[in-house]
Amino acid sequence: MMYRVRIEVSLKQGHSDPEGETAAKSLQELGYPVKATHVSKVYTVYLSADSGSEARRLTDEMCRRLLANPTKDNYSFNIEEG
Amino acid sequence: MPISLYVKRNVPFELTDVHLLGAKDEQLLQISRELGVALNLEEMRSIQGHFSRKGRDPTDAELQTFGQTWSEHCFHKTFKGKIISEDGKPIVDNMFKEYIAKVTKELDLPWCLSVFEDNAGIVDFEDGYAIAAKVETHNHPSAIEPFGGAATGTGGVIRDILGVWADPVACTDVLCFGPSDYPYDKLPAGTKHPKYLFRGVVAGIGHYGNNMGIPTVNGAIYFDKSYVSNVVVYCGCIGILPIDTFVKDTRPGDIAILAGGRTGKDGIHGVTFASAELTAESEEVSRPAVQIANPIEEEKLKRAIIRIRDQKLASAITDLGAGGISCAVGEMAHRSNCGAHVQLEEVPLKHPDIAPWEIHVSESQERMLLSIRKKHLQQVLAIFKTEDVEATAIGSFTGDKVFKVDYQEHNVVNLDLHFLFTPPRIRRTAKRKPQKLTEPSIAETVDLTKDLLGIISSPNIASKESVVRSYDHEVKGNTVLKPLHGRHGGPNDAAVIKPLASSWRGVVISCGINPSYGKIDPYWMAASAIDEAIRNNVSVGGRRISLLDNFTWGNPEKPDRLGGLLRACRACYDFAKAFGTPFISGKDSLYNESPTGQATPTLLITAIGIIPDVRKTVSVDVKKPGNLVYLISQTYPELGGSEYYRLKGYLGKTVPQVRMSQARRTINSLTKAIDSGLVESCHDLSEGGLAVTAAEMTFSEDCGIELNLRDVPKSRFMKRNDYIMFSESNSRFLIEVAVRHREDFEKSMKGCVYAPVGETRKERDFSIHGVEGDQVVDVRTNVLRDAWKSALRGRT
Amino acid sequence: MQEDVRICILRVGGTNCDAETKRAFDDAGAKAEIVHLNEAVEKGNLSDYNAIVIPGGFSYGDHVRAGAIWAKEVMAKLGSELLKLAEEGRPVLGICNGFQVLVEAGLLPGFKGVSKYPEAALATNVPIGYYCGWVHVRHVNSGRCIFTQKIPKGKMLRMPVAHAEGRFIFSKENEEALLEQLRDNDQLVFVFCSENGGPAGGKYPANPNGSFYDIAGLCNAEGTIFGLMPHPERAYYRWQQPDWTQTDAASPYGDGRLVFESMVEYLKAK
Repeated sequence: MMYRVRIEVSLKQGHSDPEGETAAKSLQELGYPVKATHVSKVYTVYLSADSGSEARRLTDEMCRRLLANPTKDNYSFNIEEG
Repeated sequence: MPISLYVKRNVPFELTDVHLLGAKDEQLLQISRELGVALNLEEMRSIQGHFSRKGRDPTDAELQTFGQTWSEHCFHKTFKGKIISEDGKPIVDNMFKEYIAKVTKELDLPWCLSVFEDNAGIVDFEDGYAIAAKVETHNHPSAIEPFGGAATGTGGVIRDILGVWADPVACTDVLCFGPSDYPYDKLPAGTKHPKYLFRGVVAGIGHYGNNMGIPTVNGAIYFDKSYVSNVVVYCGCIGILPIDTFVKDTRPGDIAILAGGRTGKDGIHGVTFASAELTAESEEVSRPAVQIANPIEEEKLKRAIIRIRDQKLASAITDLGAGGISCAVGEMAHRSNCGAHVQLEEVPLKHPDIAPWEIHVSESQERMLLSIRKKHLQQVLAIFKTEDVEATAIGSFTGDKVFKVDYQEHNVVNLDLHFLFTPPRIRRTAKRKPQKLTEPSIAETVDLTKDLLGIISSPNIASKESVVRSYDHEVKGNTVLKPLHGRHGGPNDAAVIKPLASSWRGVVISCGINPSYGKIDPYWMAASAIDEAIRNNVSVGGRRISLLDNFTWGNPEKPDRLGGLLRACRACYDFAKAFGTPFISGKDSLYNESPTGQATPTLLITAIGIIPDVRKTVSVDVKKPGNLVYLISQTYPELGGSEYYRLKGYLGKTVPQVRMSQARRTINSLTKAIDSGLVESCHDLSEGGLAVTAAEMTFSEDCGIELNLRDVPKSRFMKRNDYIMFSESNSRFLIEVAVRHREDFEKSMKGCVYAPVGETRKERDFSIHGVEGDQVVDVRTNVLRDAWKSALRGRT
Repeated sequence: MQEDVRICILRVGGTNCDAETKRAFDDAGAKAEIVHLNEAVEKGNLSDYNAIVIPGGFSYGDHVRAGAIWAKEVMAKLGSELLKLAEEGRPVLGICNGFQVLVEAGLLPGFKGVSKYPEAALATNVPIGYYCGWVHVRHVNSGRCIFTQKIPKGKMLRMPVAHAEGRFIFSKENEEALLEQLRDNDQLVFVFCSENGGPAGGKYPANPNGSFYDIAGLCNAEGTIFGLMPHPERAYYRWQQPDWTQTDAASPYGDGRLVFESMVEYLKAK
């Protein structure tokens, strides 16, 4: 089965987000009533797995092994067939 | 669209015959427009004639090949064209040959190894090594997508250096933007704000150079209203090569290898839109023309190429830039008197559904073309594989001087290379438009401290530290003189690189650019840029200097623009010749116009010198209190285009001139003094004049200075303190000399105009006394430094 | 006594500080070789070398996170070799991108040997952006770190940094405890400090990236794996310093040399 996995890696609370802060400042400069901006990274992965639960297990492993650094990153994902 | 002009071939891919034979003039122009090839009527007629003799119509791929090869960007039609006056009289037959190349030809210096011929100029260094240098313009792409435009500009010029088998050792960048406080509501439609362009361009240059691990060591940033819609981006690269590895010997039977990134639709028609003025729609229409940069791909490519070079496995190399495969293969075959036969279906693609003509002219980045003997094929492919670089044989070179391209067994291009590289010469009209300029009358103030602080914090003079620190300027560990020097990071005049571990010899890199003089007179602007580039080089200890010229100009089809260009070219000849400094490479970007007007005519001169022992390099920072401070060369009331006049809201007209006999003598004597170890620190006088130079030398460290304007060597009628302090007369240096070296120094400067004008102080006071002995500037050096450092920090 | 000290400087696409790192080792008396990871993998072992160095650069364009891809690749392809090496106490040095790789690979801080997932991170600089400039660091190691044995504790050194992701951090919830552990194990090696020697206190530009506790470099509990953000190879010679024209020509070296000397001396004595 093919699965389309959307993985979002974002910063855990409490860590500085200089990219988000810079974007917020720039948007405020342009006149938008922006209170805060948080940056996260989205990966779309096309994955072949035997089942939905297998796909979830693989995705979780990929996140821990490469896409997120548990020291600072949270990750979440959703999996669709196809 | 009249269907009859284009006949789609019945093949499983997109291939069109263009019905050129029998087409009327207006149809020729229509074809040129519709294919986006930007060829004029004369050129279209010439192609029509060629194909009538062949008895067939050209394919779309063939016409695109002409569009690329004959573009202003690739062929420099204006510089190589005939220039006539308004009444039709010939003025000059070929500006490039008769002004720029002529300097080099007449100087005939043995250390110029290859000039104007290859992707970069090559001069001797030492012990069998040579220096390669190239500076590119990337204005149009950067105006549309600043990050991508500047990044690919950097990537492109690095490939030019790889394209002569050199290992890149340093990058330079010179940028011109509109003022960063330009009101948003005044921006013309389709123009991006200078702040946005600034951030994007700087980030793009840093991204590429940093990722590739090439230090960005020298540059300049200039702000002027005329750049609001015409951003200027010059990217330079310097490389080193063992001379005996340079090879350009493609022969029939050699294999053509395409290596590096895959080919996609990026950059299609980048060449042709760069040769036309930007319009409000450019932003939308031109988007796909901007290429996407991947510096790591080029880093890997570089490693592989250097290995292939060192093992002498290839017969020639060139980069894929403007015009992609069509230009690179065509040129490589043509310069070696060969033909070429390419199988386009072999080209690795980024995505399917690309028409053959698109593969042929695509400007996808990070690609190089090599020719190799058949017997080396496996070895070469193995090296590319180890370096994780994709490389493919896409065809071979032949003996028939024909450029043949097939796609899936259908012939799509079959062109006679001689005809392809002999475009009809262009004829353009030049006229000199006299300017109505006046000299302002400015009330003289007694205390000039405020003016000095104003100038030192003006955007063109203030510290560019925030930019410099975003570029890695010391990767490779060979940067002897960095852009910022001393305890507090003052601005050095030039960068010095020590490229060989085995030698103390250094490469000295500097530049000169004076756009505001260009508003008054392009002739003296060019002369000043040459003088500035050379004196920046000499002031750190550089000598045996060669030059690179980069023009950014308006539309050459407008006679007054061309008239100015002609004057600038004449100055290039007059002054480069007189200084004995040959041009080795150059590039022009024309059509820098937008609905709001043209970019100020801007000539960048890059100077490449050498220093025999980098340990003798002279830096900007004052070394010791109690040393003497000498001013070399005469100061004239030349404030036209100066930062002082700009501060007061004027342009003026007394543009600085260059007095050759004085300039030459000064440079030779100063070099001797430096070699004898008599110079503690040295800084040239440029924007902001004497006062700014003295301030920069002083605040690089923690000390003070006392100067007397009375002692400044100046023309007889100069009485005003502000003019003496801020005049921008050329060929001048401020030099710190230890008291014990006084006699020796003066002896070595014999025959030059010079005078001791003050001394360095332990106390951090910056003090200038006027011609009457009264104090006109009294300020702490750290106050000057803070003004200089903080001005651009928050603004950009 | 080792006759020849052989150092393997690994590289992949985007590595770009290998040549100057080799020059520094060679000058310090070692024999350094630059080896592409593909070549090392093909060879299958690293047993010829007394030490491994992962130099600076932008491996894989800093994609995902700086150093992350190389870290996973090197562990996947050469992991057992590296672990063997580390167990034998052969030194592993990571400079800048190399430090990022060692952290992402779980080799540093290495509280309990090699960890499967990173125990720390080198996050985006605060203030944001690439920063190239000279900094002061204080040597705070009490002798565990073999790479700084020749440097007296408390000595201040000058070296340049050049990076965009150098902010050393732990998980927020246990950062104090982990810092305590670093201290207890004598794993702290360099901390950023101000020009006059005082603590940088997290303040830019003395601390150029906002790193936790001003950490600029640290080693594993055994002292044989060391990573640092500053570039000692760019501070090896006098003429590399940003104000060398003010310094005494009699001493031809900069502070960075001490790191290479310490390491080579340690290996020679082994």
